[in-house]
Amino acid sequence: MNRRTIARIAGVLFAGVLLPVTALAQKKVELWHVFNLESDMIHGAIKNWNSRNAQVQIEARVLPLAQLNAEFTKAIAAGAVPDAILFGGEAMAAFSSQGAFEDITDLVKSSSIRFGDYYAGPRAAGMWGGKIYGLPRAVNTLALYYNADMLSAKGLKVPTTWSEFSAAAATLTDPGKVFGASFSAVQSEEGTFQYLPWLYQAGGSPDKLDSPEARSALQLWVDLVQKGHASKDVVTMRQYEATNTFIAGNAAMVVGGPWELPRIDKDAKFKWGVALLPVHDTKKLRASSLGDFMLAIPKGARNKADAFKVIEYMQSDEVMSTAWDTGRMPPRDGIKANSQKFPEALAVFQEQMKYAKVRGPHPQWPEISRPIQLAIQEALTGKASVNDALNKAAGSLAPIFAKTPLPQQ
Amino acid sequence: MAINSAWLDSPRVMHAAVALALAYLVALIGYPILYNLLLSVQDVQIGNLLSGDRAFVGLDNYRAIFDDASFGQVARNTLLFTLGNVGLSFVCGLALALFFELRFPGASYLRGLILAAWFLPAMVIGAIFKWLLATDSGLLNQLLSISGLATQKINWLSNPDLALAAVTVANVWYGTPFAMILLSAGLATLPRELYESASLDGAGAWRRFRFITLPLLMPTMLAVLALSTIYTLRVFDLLWTMTRGGPASSTTILPIWSYLFSFELFKFGVGAAVATMLLTAVILVGWLYTRSLEREHRL
Repeated sequence: MNRRTIARIAGVLFAGVLLPVTALAQKKVELWHVFNLESDMIHGAIKNWNSRNAQVQIEARVLPLAQLNAEFTKAIAAGAVPDAILFGGEAMAAFSSQGAFEDITDLVKSSSIRFGDYYAGPRAAGMWGGKIYGLPRAVNTLALYYNADMLSAKGLKVPTTWSEFSAAAATLTDPGKVFGASFSAVQSEEGTFQYLPWLYQAGGSPDKLDSPEARSALQLWVDLVQKGHASKDVVTMRQYEATNTFIAGNAAMVVGGPWELPRIDKDAKFKWGVALLPVHDTKKLRASSLGDFMLAIPKGARNKADAFKVIEYMQSDEVMSTAWDTGRMPPRDGIKANSQKFPEALAVFQEQMKYAKVRGPHPQWPEISRPIQLAIQEALTGKASVNDALNKAAGSLAPIFAKTPLPQQ
Repeated sequence: MAINSAWLDSPRVMHAAVALALAYLVALIGYPILYNLLLSVQDVQIGNLLSGDRAFVGLDNYRAIFDDASFGQVARNTLLFTLGNVGLSFVCGLALALFFELRFPGASYLRGLILAAWFLPAMVIGAIFKWLLATDSGLLNQLLSISGLATQKINWLSNPDLALAAVTVANVWYGTPFAMILLSAGLATLPRELYESASLDGAGAWRRFRFITLPLLMPTMLAVLALSTIYTLRVFDLLWTMTRGGPASSTTILPIWSYLFSFELFKFGVGAAVATMLLTAVILVGWLYTRSLEREHRL
């Protein structure tokens, strides 16, 4: 037996015996998410987990948001789902109610997760039929960003009511240069997400769109656009693009979430601030939308046990305390933000979060959102009156709510 | 002689070759089409995607499409978008191809440069055009106002009456190089002698184009028309980036509608039915194309 033969045998032994042993010992958790920015909190959490748990490695797959639903559906149909997925809160109920996610109620109860400490909105977002299917990886909500330089130049206070908001938008508008206000009314879930705070503040609800409350909320937007105090392009602007116009100094106020903070802080060349959304003059109800992603285990996941351990880690104080670094918020009280950045903004968003309402949860939320988007678009482009647009939406939503009513919040 | 042609021509080998090609077609093209057809007559939801335990619903999904309040609008959008795109990108492509036939210095470089548009991802083109066409900060409105051509800013993408035309222009810009390069290739194969003798006989530029270029280029032109119709019927990314089918559904065409049904409303059966309609349109175009080719050959 010469040396080469020995080397060969050793090689075969190594490849055939040792490698599978290490592969067996090292399990993996395949996690799908949509956050391609390296700065997002999820990347730090994955890195930390992987450096501490040599035996269970997270393998992340980053998908474009537009492909998440499609890829996940394909995976379900092929029977090859990931072990864990970050899923849009508004579509959770659609998938949970049809058995696409594992019921993790018992796992949560016997874990270190103090589910009772979570805010009501994020708690409800992952539940269906009294069972827990998802846990928030973080939460966000909408508040009002303002260009402090522009406000003080016009001697304006930060608006706190709808009429102050409209008046400020009018005063701040400089035709051809600056719009008083900006927001996103795009024909997608983002448009619904931005309309709901106003709807709730007026005392309305998605299941009563043919009400004076719903009309007054949409009228507020229509007036801003028709009077030229907001761009007509809000119907094609995503939230990201609406904030761009604010950062560029082309809009004096913008409705946006905390995820915009790092960008605004870095790129805005003026003094800015964040305030609670202005409230309806007489109703004075505080409300906003609840957003961000839920962590869930798809039915049929191969490594359910470890996937839940990963989710449990993602819920820990350690991970949640990094949320604010990237403009996200923890879903429960009592977590001290790691970052000392924007303390005033943090206080405002924490206060606004108390009034954030979950969309649904309803198994047909996407079908509910669609007519709302259309009504917004028709009213803002003048294709239909506010009244007609909302009545049409209410008409197409009536059968859905007759079958499954919206839960009371 | 390197190849034993007798062996290659043997019936057994030919049958094997045909069988391979057929197997490829059946597995990679036939199966998805049949699967899509099957989905389109079933009640497919998230819950029964994997189990396969789906109720047969006959033509209900198709009925759902026709009963949908947006059907008329989507059909009209698709028709206008397709006609506009195919027509304009063909005319522009032909004009460019003829222009580069003039073989002026640098013509081949310029032609290559124009082709660059075809290499860019549709999402990038969409994002660029969304910026160019923005009402307030868009380049086009700036140019129009500087040149005094328009006194008011035009809402290219946010006016439901203009948005379809605006996205059509973006897609024409994207599709023109493709038409141009195919037509250029076709032009290059035309015999030069014909043009020379026609010139000697006193035929002007128009007559040479009308009686030599047009008839000889016909097969290429038909191919370009057929291919660009099929490509247009598949457009998704560009519109998704620019408008998401809005404003007020004014740019929702069949592929976007199919995506909405399947992956936003999770009505997979209805989405599949829309896809079947698209497929039927594509097959129809393909059939028309092969039929006209056959007629060309007979002539």
